[in-house]
Amino acid sequence: MEKVKPNKTTKVDHRTKIIAGYVEHVLEHGKQPASVFKFAKALNMNEEEFYNYFTSFEAIKSAVWSKLFEDTINNLESQEVFKEYSAREKLLGFLFTLVEELKKNRSYLLSLYGEKKNMKSLLPTEVKVFRSKFKDFANEIILEGKETEEIASRPVISDRYDEALWLQVWFVFQFWLKDTSTAFEKTDAAIEKSVNLAFDLMGKSAFDTFIDFAKFLYQNK
Amino acid sequence: MSNKIKEQQSIPVSKVQRAAKFISTGAKVGGNYMKHYAKKVVNPSMTNEQLHTDNASDIYKSLSQMKGSALKIAQMMSMDKNLLPRAYQDKFTMAQYSAPPLSYPLVVKTFQKNFGKSPDQMFDTFTRSAVNAASIGQVHQATKDGKKLAIKIQYPGVADSVTSDLRLVRPFALRLLNMNEIELDHYMGEVEERLIEETDYLLEVERSREISEACGHIPNLKFPIYYDELSADRIITMDWISGKHIKEWMDTNPSQESRNQIGQALWDFYHHQVHNLKQVHADPHPGNFIIQDGDQLGIIDFGCVKVIPEDFYQGYFALIKKELLINQKDLDQIFYDLEFISDKDTEVEKAFFKGIFTEMISLLGKPFHVDKFDFADDDFFNEIFQLGDRISNDKMFRKSRQARGSRHGLYINRTYFGLYNLLNQLKAEVNTTKPQWLE
Repeated sequence: MEKVKPNKTTKVDHRTKIIAGYVEHVLEHGKQPASVFKFAKALNMNEEEFYNYFTSFEAIKSAVWSKLFEDTINNLESQEVFKEYSAREKLLGFLFTLVEELKKNRSYLLSLYGEKKNMKSLLPTEVKVFRSKFKDFANEIILEGKETEEIASRPVISDRYDEALWLQVWFVFQFWLKDTSTAFEKTDAAIEKSVNLAFDLMGKSAFDTFIDFAKFLYQNK
Repeated sequence: MSNKIKEQQSIPVSKVQRAAKFISTGAKVGGNYMKHYAKKVVNPSMTNEQLHTDNASDIYKSLSQMKGSALKIAQMMSMDKNLLPRAYQDKFTMAQYSAPPLSYPLVVKTFQKNFGKSPDQMFDTFTRSAVNAASIGQVHQATKDGKKLAIKIQYPGVADSVTSDLRLVRPFALRLLNMNEIELDHYMGEVEERLIEETDYLLEVERSREISEACGHIPNLKFPIYYDELSADRIITMDWISGKHIKEWMDTNPSQESRNQIGQALWDFYHHQVHNLKQVHADPHPGNFIIQDGDQLGIIDFGCVKVIPEDFYQGYFALIKKELLINQKDLDQIFYDLEFISDKDTEVEKAFFKGIFTEMISLLGKPFHVDKFDFADDDFFNEIFQLGDRISNDKMFRKSRQARGSRHGLYINRTYFGLYNLLNQLKAEVNTTKPQWLE
């Protein structure tokens, strides 16, 4: 967590400083600061200045999520073998790396999301940017998968695949929050199994053949 | 080389077949229940005995096919409770087998977790997919500095799930192994202990090295070298041992001398471990032995090692003394020590179990009673299996209110049956050496 210790000697990037300060506050107190005023004061800033960078705590949390995503992608792309991966392996790689990045921020994430009950139905607003970034990434994978025929094109449904993959990411996140196994091995297994299921469902299957056959019968009866 | 590729491709197939076999047995057992209840409607006096027999024979059939001529699990099952760990392990691995192999990204992740480096950074080459399945992991092939290496990677979460998996298979084991609950629980702890040890790869490396060094002087044995700096909690790196499995090797029609040489090496290997080291490679499964050119025997996988406690050792091996079978008083004492009989037994029970165990021991000790024993002799094995059948169908045994036999005997018995079976497969004649105190 380098973010926690902002570099004070040079002219600090205020944005980074605010994010780091916020994360640290959550880590220390287990909840977010009472108000922007109090928080800005703690950072030796006035409230007005704060708004130049962020307009709310939600915006900071959103920035944390964005950073998680960027770090994951950067880490992923630095692995040479990533380019050779199939679509399925790319998604696996993404999730495994994401979990590693999440791990660096586990306490922060736990204090913000560990207690919440209805996260399944309700997506916290600050995650939305992360979601849209992921969907862009997922669409690339899906497109590639369709080219290599790993993923079957189906009318209507295949346009929603990015949404399905997002739900999977969200599922993995939830699972990881509750995981108590050594080194989060259970999460690894959950990723492996859920991605395999997702790709098996998206791939060409007996179902497609069945639809095709049914269509044929209908047209020729 | 071409041979090797073939072998590697054939493994997943048999894995699927094994799984299929297992499922079909499940279906049959289910069918037996149906049949049973259908018959019961017609004939209410019918007992459960018929059902158990039906089940047992179906399971027996499928188990004996499953491993082919390998460990004759089915026969072993009926002959002694030593089968338990094998069956448990098979179930346990079965559960793992139903999972697809680890994806490459997860392999990379496991490496990064353990070494902070990816396999590509650590080795010159590294196969993207597994070349072989180990019981609780998979094996990849790699090269580094011109050396061919085998890298075993454990499935994530296996170590944590041993206990819960055992609990899961318990009801099946009760039915399949045809034993009562008291007996099952008696052995369960032992099995759990071994399985948990098996997930500890660091311990495995340590033991592999210890035993292979201690057995280094035995002629015609080959052990892989283990690499500490390339091994971790979930990863073991060792030399790649190339060669043929026993079955393949036997297909090449090796001469009697060659077979004897391999057989003798195998016997010596176990003799030294049991009597001198007092800890033994307790998994004489054909997959763990590889025969190399020049009739050398390669030994891999020290996941399952049983340490033999001294007092158990004394009692157990005293039984193979020929003249002991005549001396009733000493024999009784040993039976007590090894928990074959206890004070809770009635006189009738005592007499019955003593009789059975004496018969069993004199049969199993047979190779020790001569200087040279021909394991190609199928009659010997048939006799064992027949005795086993008799025991498993005996009411006295099934109704017995207590477990028979020390828990340590579980893996030792399994080791010896496994060894006998391997030697039978090899059709080898070996000098059945004994420690001095038993001569």
